[in-house]
This record gives sequence, C-alpha cells and structure tokens, in this order.
Amino acid sequence: MRIDTKGRFSFTGGTHPPESKTLTSESKIQSFPAVKQVAIMLSQHTGAVCRPLTRKGNTVQAGQKIGDSDAFVSAPVHSPITGKVKEITLQSHPVLGRSPAVVIDALPHYPPKRPDFKLKDDFDENSYSAEQICDAVRQAGIVGMGGAGFPTRVKIEPNPRLPKETLVINGCECEPYITCDYRIMLEWTNQIIAGIKLARRASGCSKVFVGIEDNKPQAIEAMNAALNTCADSDGIKVVPVKTKYPQGGERQLIKAILKKDVPAGGIPPMIGVVVLNVATVAVIAEAVIYDSPLTHRVVTVTGEGIANPGNFYVPIGTSVAELIEFCGGLTEEVVKVIIGGPMMGIAIADLTTPVAKTTGAVTVLTKKQIGAAKFAGRQTPCIRCGRCLEVCPEHLNPTKIAHAVKNNLLEVAENYYINACMECSCCSYVCPANIELTGYIKTGKTLLAGQKESSPG
Amino acid sequence: MLENITVSSAPHISKPLSTRSVMIDVIIGLVPAMAAAGYYFRIYALILIPTCVFSAVATEWLCNLIRKKPNSLGDLSAVVTGIILALSLPPSLPIWAAIIGSVFAVAIGKMVFGGLGANVFNPAMVGRAFLTASFGMMMTSWTVPATIDAKMPRIAPENMMHSRTQATPLWWSKLAIKNKLGADVYSNAQFESTFTGEVGGCLGETSAIALLIGGLYLLIRRTINPSLPLAVLLSAFIFAAIAYLIDSDAYVQPVFHLTSGAMLLCAFFIATDPVTAPLTTKGMWIFGIGVGAITMLIRIVGEYPEGVMYAVLLMNAVTPLIDRFCKLVPAGGKLK
Repeated sequence: MRIDTKGRFSFTGGTHPPESKTLTSESKIQSFPAVKQVAIMLSQHTGAVCRPLTRKGNTVQAGQKIGDSDAFVSAPVHSPITGKVKEITLQSHPVLGRSPAVVIDALPHYPPKRPDFKLKDDFDENSYSAEQICDAVRQAGIVGMGGAGFPTRVKIEPNPRLPKETLVINGCECEPYITCDYRIMLEWTNQIIAGIKLARRASGCSKVFVGIEDNKPQAIEAMNAALNTCADSDGIKVVPVKTKYPQGGERQLIKAILKKDVPAGGIPPMIGVVVLNVATVAVIAEAVIYDSPLTHRVVTVTGEGIANPGNFYVPIGTSVAELIEFCGGLTEEVVKVIIGGPMMGIAIADLTTPVAKTTGAVTVLTKKQIGAAKFAGRQTPCIRCGRCLEVCPEHLNPTKIAHAVKNNLLEVAENYYINACMECSCCSYVCPANIELTGYIKTGKTLLAGQKESSPG
Repeated sequence: MLENITVSSAPHISKPLSTRSVMIDVIIGLVPAMAAAGYYFRIYALILIPTCVFSAVATEWLCNLIRKKPNSLGDLSAVVTGIILALSLPPSLPIWAAIIGSVFAVAIGKMVFGGLGANVFNPAMVGRAFLTASFGMMMTSWTVPATIDAKMPRIAPENMMHSRTQATPLWWSKLAIKNKLGADVYSNAQFESTFTGEVGGCLGETSAIALLIGGLYLLIRRTINPSLPLAVLLSAFIFAAIAYLIDSDAYVQPVFHLTSGAMLLCAFFIATDPVTAPLTTKGMWIFGIGVGAITMLIRIVGEYPEGVMYAVLLMNAVTPLIDRFCKLVPAGGKLK
C-alpha cells in the first residue's frame, strides 16, 4: 500500500521561511566523543530550580541524580558522565541569563554513551502500570524536549479535573535548519512507537495522532511502516500536515489535526489533549524500559557558519564551544551563534553555555543569512501594511501590541491580548519595515509580569 | 572570530522585503497607467509626472532637513505620492500648479504628521483636494486625448466637439441624469473608449485596461490585500446598479461607473495605501464599501461628477475608528 504523505491540514496564518534542512537532513546521528567537562544546569525546565545533591570534590557516576526539587512542577537532573564535581557555580543560561550549574570534570577513560537502543523483544506496555510509567518519567528527569521544557510527568499524569482523551505526538519540526527530530523518526522509529504506547498507557488517552510536516515524507513512511508491523498500534495514526511555520506549535498542531482551538492563553489539557514531542516519547521508552535517565540528547549543529554540520548524540551539559569545535569550528564570517533555530532560537555571546535538555540545535549563521538590514538592526516606520496580522497564527495584531509596548502603554498591549502571543516570530520575519515586533512583545510580557508581581494583593 | 558575534532578539532571519521593495512594486504597478497616459496625453504626461515626482521628493528632502531627521527618500514613498498625484490631475494643468499640489501633498499631507506611517490622509489626495479647492477651473478642464480628433464618440456635448477641451465620461453621465439620457451615454463604443482610455479625464485614470493590468500585478505580487479593491468595486457596482434599476433612463449602466473616472485608480492604488487604510480584513471591507458608496453618492446625487477623492479622504478620517471597531479575536477566543 502506498502511503499518502501529502499534508492536507494546517492552521490559518503562518509563513514559509527557507527550510535550510538539507545541510544536516542526511547526516546520521553520530555519537559524540568523550567530553572533558560538563556543566549540568539546575534549571533546564519550566518550574522550580533543582537543589544540588552533591558537593564540590564528590565523585559522581554516569546516570547519578545530582539535583532535584520537591516542587510538583520540576524535574531532577543527572550526570551524563562519571567524574568529579569541580564546582557548583553560576553558568550562562540561554533564557535565564545565569543559572546555578554543577560542573563535572570527566574521569579519564570513561567511554561515551552510544545512541544504540534495542527494544526488548517481549516489550509490552501493559506490563507497566500507569503509576510505574509516571514515576519512571519523573525519576528520569524527562521534560518536553521540543523547547518549552515542561516536566513531562505533570503532562501525562492522569488529572481528574482535566481528563485526557487524545495524545498528539509532535514530529513537525517546523523550525528551519533543525533536523534532530527528523533523524530520530528515521533511526529510532521503534523506540518512538514504544514511547508512544507507554505515554498512551500512562495518560489513559484512547486516540493517538502523530503529526509530521509533509516536507519529511521519509519520516512519514518510516513511522507508518513501523506501525504496520507492530502489534497493538490500532489507535495510533500518522497524520501528514502542511509544511508551514509554526506548524509545530502545539496549538497550531492541535488545530491542524483535531480542528479544535485551545482557549487563548490556555493549555491543551483544557480540551483533553496532551502534546508530546517525538524526542520526548523516545526518551520515555528508554526511561521506562531501561531505567535510563535523560542525560543525552540529539543536537543538530548546523548553519552556513559551521564547517561540518551534523546530528550528534551529545551529553547534556556539553558546552556549545565544544560542539562547534568538534564540527570543525566557526568560519570567518560567523556573526551569530544561536541555541535553537533562526526563528525562535536564542542568540548567545558566551560559548561556554551548556547544552540543556531542551537544546535541539546550535545554529551558526553568517551575515548573508541574516541579511544586511536585519544585521544592522535598521528599523523603519510601520507602514501598516498588515502583513504581521496576516501571518500571526494566534490572530493577534502584532504591530498594535508592539507599538503599545514601545510607547509604554502596557494596558493597551494587554487589551490587544499580548499574553496570547507565543513568540513564534512570524510577524518580525515578514515585516518589511524590519521592526522587531516579537522583541517588543517579549519585553512587554516581561514588564507586565513584573507589574503583577510587584502589585500588592 | 568571537568578537564578531552579535546577539539580538529572535528571529535571526527575515524575509527579503522592505518598505522600498513594496514601493517599487507599486511603482511597477503604475507603469501601465503611466504608459497609457503617455500614449493618450503625450507631452502633458511627459511634463506632469516628472514634475510631480521631483517636487514631491524635493519637498520630503527639505522637510527632513528642517526637522533635522535622517533622510527618508530611500523608501520611495514620495515617488509613489508624486506619481499618483500626477495621474489624478487634469493633463493640461500648469506646471506651477502641479508643483504647488505636490509640495502641499508631501509637506502637509505627510511630513507634518511625522513622515511616512504617521499620516492620517492619503498624501496625494490631500494635494489634489488642495488644488481642487484653490484652482477649481483648472482642475476641471479636460484635454482631448492626442489619439482622437473630431471623431470622438458622443461623449462630449455637441458644442464642445471641436474645442481643445472636452467633457469627461462622468461629466456627461452627470448631464444625462438631468436630461434623462443615461441610455444614450452608454454604448459599446463609449464603453470601449473608457476601457482603452481614449477619453477625456485625469492623466492616468482614463485607461481601465492599463489600471487593471497594474492592479493585477499588485494582487499577484501580494502587495495589496484583494479585499480592499474588491470591496470598493463591489460596493460602487451595487450602488450604481440600484440607481440604474430605479431609473435606467437617467442613470448609466453600473459597469460604466467602474471603468470611468478614477474608480480603478482608486480601488487599486489610492484606497490601498496601507498607511491610511485599516489593518484588518474586516476593516478593509468596511473602508472599501464606504469609499465605493460615498463615491457613488457623489456621482449620482451630488453636485460634482466625480467623488473618489472626497470618498477616500472621508474614509481615511474614520480609519482609526474602523481599526478600533474591528478588533481581532485571538485564536481560541478572548482571554479571560
């Protein structure tokens, strides 16, 4: 049977930045050589910061838990290598600026973990209870690996107030340049399906949809082929969706697959849906079946500014500098090093920034990709052309909100639903006047959050 | 190498698009109309268009100098204002009047508000309104296209046939309302002339076909939102059709209203000026329907034969209100 890989569904709005995925899409996941040092940040997820469980001078084993928190929304962190704790110090963090981190010097002759994973022949998700799965996910420190880093246990755990019916697996990877999820779908297909079944069992969902953008026909075929050959995959359906940025946003994916809107400012469980990234379900399988904590992840090192781009199985805590060095270093023209992709990623200046659980890519760009006007930060007046309104996937009025923030009219920004913005950057991308709409909106959200915190009562 | 690394907010790439490229698109869209103007009005077009463009650009440059602001000529918006103003002027308008109009359009229509993006009214229409108010006679004298001699179809009243000037199709349709001659005005030959542009009228408004080609170009390039021209033309057509159905003796056929006068120039190039039109699609419909309705109201019951300029300026004035009224609802409903 030939599989139809053409996506028929999408959301309204969005845009088509150049995909630039061919740089790494054919590059198999390679294991990364032994690292000398890792810095495990104690805040790699949404929620409470972990407290360190080890001290300077202690020796830690690979897979040992080195940080945890009692808070409900949190996830522990583990050491990916066997080594000696050098210090617990502040480290550059892409989002928070600075975060406490445990720096570990590797002991010599410690072999790196390989990405090989073999599914047990007698694997049956029904031999694990829902609690067992949830506990294993929590203990392994699994968080959403697509970017937001929300602790996965909180997402999949049954909640009597918000019963879950549908599990949506996100294999869109709409962000340009990044190919880590694509390679995982091609190379770890069975592991993903095992993870899907475990997540389905834990959450009690009856329906499962795997959304994949139709620019990845091989991934769609691989997932379908694997589903056809394994037992108990009746309720799992692969849905090709149109290739459009930001199709991988969870609200946009739900809209495309289920034709439902998540309430603005709300979360998918409000309509009985859980969305998990393919990389997340892959590590769920590893955590539940082999008790293996989340200590490594696939990172795409890419961009025109890097000599040898590729996909690597990297210990979490490896510095960006080490990744770049392994890939042949930066070329002369590099002007930007980004954690993530070019649309939503965060530009860093400090290359000692470590890889976190949510780091899917390091993108290195030269002036050419950024464009002269963007590079110079030349912004011209808004001509009210309305392109930002056309592309906004949340149907907001970006120019109104951004200019309200610019003029310090936060209540106007709030009135135009600034908090419904998911910061996908479509508006800034299409703006002919090159206005940093997303930047202003982010600033406005931060200012508003600050106001709320400091107001009495 | 590290010292070259910069940081900024996402996104780190942008679509190769600029205000300048948008304006270049508009200028390309206006080329057919300019060519038609050159073909039908020869030397007048050759004088008027460069005069308006040059004075508009010079005015913007001077205003920036006085305001001590950086030079903004690179966005080419002054060029677009100059061209549109020129195309909406009578061909035989004296050069000095065209210069006054252009200076007023840019200085008072745009720069006093703070430059591009801040103006409330369409600058070209502000300039034209100023000229209409100041030099009423000059602004209503129409030259016969160079391509016709005395064999001009019965659009002009008999006594004006051999004069240097002639009435426009709209002037004649206005006259027809009084004399109940609507049916006479609209014949195939006359429709053809308004379609090709072989009639009297403003420099760039006579040729429907040239304006349609330019408008189509803007639509294909997605420079303008199709809702706006559609709303203008549809509402004008409906109002013209209502009048025609009420009294087909007095009123000309609705299609005639679309192809004659500044209707097409307005629908594709004037009303679509993004700065002075609403942001949302719903707002564009309201704006466009308003422009079409006011134009037809003036054409059918008003004293003037043409009303596009007033319609656009009036709707420009309510654009902020329309924008407030048409607030978008976020995906997934309003935030609690």
